[in-house]
Amino acid sequence: MSLLAPIICDNGTGYSKVGFAGNSDPSFVFPTAIATRGSPSQTSRAPTIPSKPGHLASKRGVEDLDFFIGDEALANAKTPGYGVHYPIRHGMIDNWDHMERYWEQTIFKYLRAEPEDHYFLLTEPPLNPPENREQTAEIFFESFNIKGLYIAVQAVLALAASWSSNRVTDRTLTGTVIDSGDGVTHVIPCAEGYVIGSAIKHIPIAGRDISQFVLNLMRERGEMANVPPEDQLKVAGKVKENYSYVCQDIVREFRKYDEEPLKYFERYEGEHSVTGRKYGIDVGYERFLAPEIFFNPEIYSSDFLTPLPEIVDEVIQQSPIDVRRGLYKNIVLSGGSTMFQHFGNRLKRDLKQLVDRRLDASVLASGSSLKSSGVDVDVISHKRQRYAVWFGGSLLASLPEFYTSCHTKAQYDEIGPSICRRYQIFGSAT
Amino acid sequence: MILLESQNYIIQTTLTEKINKPSSLDVQFVDFDGVRFHLSTPERKTSLLLSMHIRCWDELVKYGALDILRREYGVLLLDQAEQEYNVSLDIDLEQIPSDPAAQEAFILSVALFKRNALAAPFERGFKTQKELEASGGAPGELMEIHYRDEEAIYVQASPDRVTVIFSTVFREETDRIFGKVFLQEFVDARRQPSIQNAPQVLYSNRDPPLEIRHLSGLRAADDIGYVTFVLFPRHFLNATVAGSTISHIQLFRDYLHYHIKCSKAYMHSRMRHRVAEFQKVLNRAKTEVATTERKTATGRTLISR
Repeated sequence: MSLLAPIICDNGTGYSKVGFAGNSDPSFVFPTAIATRGSPSQTSRAPTIPSKPGHLASKRGVEDLDFFIGDEALANAKTPGYGVHYPIRHGMIDNWDHMERYWEQTIFKYLRAEPEDHYFLLTEPPLNPPENREQTAEIFFESFNIKGLYIAVQAVLALAASWSSNRVTDRTLTGTVIDSGDGVTHVIPCAEGYVIGSAIKHIPIAGRDISQFVLNLMRERGEMANVPPEDQLKVAGKVKENYSYVCQDIVREFRKYDEEPLKYFERYEGEHSVTGRKYGIDVGYERFLAPEIFFNPEIYSSDFLTPLPEIVDEVIQQSPIDVRRGLYKNIVLSGGSTMFQHFGNRLKRDLKQLVDRRLDASVLASGSSLKSSGVDVDVISHKRQRYAVWFGGSLLASLPEFYTSCHTKAQYDEIGPSICRRYQIFGSAT
Repeated sequence: MILLESQNYIIQTTLTEKINKPSSLDVQFVDFDGVRFHLSTPERKTSLLLSMHIRCWDELVKYGALDILRREYGVLLLDQAEQEYNVSLDIDLEQIPSDPAAQEAFILSVALFKRNALAAPFERGFKTQKELEASGGAPGELMEIHYRDEEAIYVQASPDRVTVIFSTVFREETDRIFGKVFLQEFVDARRQPSIQNAPQVLYSNRDPPLEIRHLSGLRAADDIGYVTFVLFPRHFLNATVAGSTISHIQLFRDYLHYHIKCSKAYMHSRMRHRVAEFQKVLNRAKTEVATTERKTATGRTLISR
């Protein structure tokens, strides 16, 4: 029997990316939301207890099947009787009841796959407790009877995704991952497929903050005056996605814009979503100022002030000394908020400056007698950055070794859920 | 979601998207019962090639699947299918009707590709029944469709009815029990007055029904069960009724397994709830730690460092 493609399921806090291995893009990207009967504020998570337990005549209806997931869930948010829940919090599964039903509908309604015939690759955040892995394995093996399961760390998959870039020559799983989505940015060092948990750092600046910053700038300039208030954040998001780029020198960029505004200012045309009235706004300095909050956070927030290159440097300096060279040499970007043009170049330049300055200082301190051979700093950008984690999973799951690294149903039945606490790292050439 | 839909969601969404914004594409995906699809743009961005691989294609061709596909898709159907696949459709995005309603209907019909291919034996069965009814002959040919490795559908037309038999295999012990309860319920549910018109359902465990008992290669094991649907002429009275009967009966196995999984999910959520309740009880039983101040004989207090 020919094997059917494994299913890759990357469930994030905001969005779930699901699809089949071997493809370059996920088949579905939808919010990780589930709309069930009952108000969202309801505290008890379990279904209500039947009035006469054990009595066959009081058979209940099909309330447990009455739910929507993804975009449909959000569309039904306002329907009376439904409440929207987000079963994943901070990357970890919070409500297993909802998650189980969410997966059920993902598989049967959207993917239309028979779970018995497929291997599954799921993702987890770094530092996910092994108990969560066991729970996940229980659901997948016992509810869905899947053939085999592999649970991969998101950062490692992002590293694997960077192999698609033509600048990568050796397929290594050592590197620093900068994962910036909508809510938060993580900097995660990985050594040979293992995450160095003690050195991970989080930055509270990500996509949502950039949109907010663009909105603030445009409001100050008065551009937003003719945009309907409910659309303003959406317009700011569009401006961020379509016009923004990272500049190399702010002062020069400002001068360029002031000298030739016609050349650099862009025009955004929108339409009122209700009345259909057309409006247009000028897009100016925010084009290069928006992603600048990664490099100069003081222009946006007053409580978080460390620039991204400095954080990356700190993370690598906290990692074991023997992997630091590998970490500097292979810095990989993942997530939608790293998609700005020249983002990688700017990060590389700033980080290189920090590293060189430290090397020079140590040369001086040693009395100029010992000279360092220098440290390579390289930031890798590639085409698949937006869904890097999913793409890395698709890449790894199409390798023949994938099947040997999976835990199969037979192994699960023999040993039990504890088998899924550990997974063999695979895919690295070394 | 109680019923599964018959159209493929991925085809539907991808086509809708590509009509608005053509771009190059190369995706592979699956459908129930091990059907594989490949959707690609081999030449131009506006010309999509949709190929399908079905396990029981040869049997379906024998029962007239090509005629049905030709009727549904006309010139779209390619004579030569893509390598490794059984049948291909060539969709030119520039020739799709621009009227929104017609466009939607077209997308839906493409998304029903698998359903239409699998409809062949049923349609032939319905046709044979009509002929037999007029001529009053012996029961027609028994059509076998081995749509999965161990499971098959059997369709046979008689002068007064069409019999559809599913063989089902449950690989998992728990599934077998759930499945048994479910199938038993199917038989019983028909007694309810509201669904008197539903087709008659018979369920037998282990022993194959009489219609197919003469076939060789039937396994008699405990994990195998046979579900028989008896379709009377009123279930395929006109094209619409016959169409919906076919759509529903095709998905029977997936429907059954989907609901077994749903019930397990429900059981699990009940179990989690129970555990949470038990934990509350256990926490209540915790003894309070005595916090009285302890003093020595001379009245000094002990301070833990």
